[in-house]
Amino acid sequence: MNSATVEASHLGKMFGTKRVLQDLSFGVSPGDVVGVLGKNGAGKTTLLELMLGFTQPTEGAVRLFGHESYRLPGDAKARVGFVPQQDELVDHLTVADQLRVIASFYPHWDKDLMSRLCQEWGIDVRARIKGMSVGERQKLSILLAFGHKPDLLILDEPVASLDPIARRQFLEQLVEISTDGRRAIVFSSHIVSDIERLANRIWILKEGRFDWQGDLDSLKESIVRIHLRGSGRLPEVLAIPGALSVRRESAFPTAIVRDWTEGAQRELERQIAGTVEVEALGLEEIFVELHR
Amino acid sequence: MLFILNPQSGVPIYRQILEQVRRMVSSGQLQPGTELPSVRDLAVAHAVNPMTISKAYSLLEAEGLLARNRGKPMTVVGSARGTARGQTPLNKRVEQINPLVDQIVLAARQLQLSEAELVKALRRKWEETDE
Repeated sequence: MNSATVEASHLGKMFGTKRVLQDLSFGVSPGDVVGVLGKNGAGKTTLLELMLGFTQPTEGAVRLFGHESYRLPGDAKARVGFVPQQDELVDHLTVADQLRVIASFYPHWDKDLMSRLCQEWGIDVRARIKGMSVGERQKLSILLAFGHKPDLLILDEPVASLDPIARRQFLEQLVEISTDGRRAIVFSSHIVSDIERLANRIWILKEGRFDWQGDLDSLKESIVRIHLRGSGRLPEVLAIPGALSVRRESAFPTAIVRDWTEGAQRELERQIAGTVEVEALGLEEIFVELHR
Repeated sequence: MLFILNPQSGVPIYRQILEQVRRMVSSGQLQPGTELPSVRDLAVAHAVNPMTISKAYSLLEAEGLLARNRGKPMTVVGSARGTARGQTPLNKRVEQINPLVDQIVLAARQLQLSEAELVKALRRKWEETDE
């Protein structure tokens, strides 16, 4: 038996001669909510597609429930839910028909959950998909991925077209799913504040590699803004370990540092013969700083 | 709502809960025996990750502020800093707020606010939140 939902080692992907992903090793356990962040073109969608087995890795391997994802057996496939960036709804169907079509693929379809969510999310089951707005289509596409109660839910930019109310309802539903601790969620989004709420683990992709991978809490404790208050004139050259950026225009210089520790703080306080104040940063600021 | 959680503040959510419970226990706002909301209820109400809340509860349990009873909600035990009932002495409570005061004073100096302007801003907030 294995307990990991996803396991990847040294995963890499090339399209022709273009390297898109490189040396990614990671694990996802039941109960995890992983937020995937990265600029456009950082490789987020390719990474999710490798996990889903839509494409074969060039290097390394990724396994879902112990099986190589590219050759996932049917019963393991039924344990995965996916919300793609571009929905795959059938235009000429009504919502009710679309629900029936998808439900027919799965033995354990939760009809009650579907009716409840249709009602709560304001989806009219009689509506024809052709006439729905982009946001409504996205809501339906998310809802369809919940129906078979997947053990692994993968969402690629699921909320780009949702209004704030719909986004909040979507987030609450994800929390509901994650509270039982048995299921795992991996989702990419540019809406950093959503990831900040929901995720316990963060993957930051930069040019196809992990620039950060770990607990959100550790990330917030390790990348911080520091304020230097020297007792006298500060030295011209400051040796600040892990500095991502330094600003010296005011009397109290500030810096953004990574891998911050209490040891680093003591060392710096000794160097400037003064005190160092630590300010916590929001995830958005951290993300921007890592991309300077 | 028992807690005020701000996921964007930079301070991890579990720390926000830790600090708020510690403060409310010190001040006597949370009395021994008070039951706290379940992890699930808090997570759904704030739309935040349930694990960050269980982490806070577990740490508070380890500190001796909360106790977990089988099949029952987390319950306030008492103050980790001595007195089992009632308020922690004033000087101890002031000690707990000092790190925040340091930050406010630092920010005010960087913004070149005068002492009077800072006190005024504090007083306005104090009155706003007075019940």
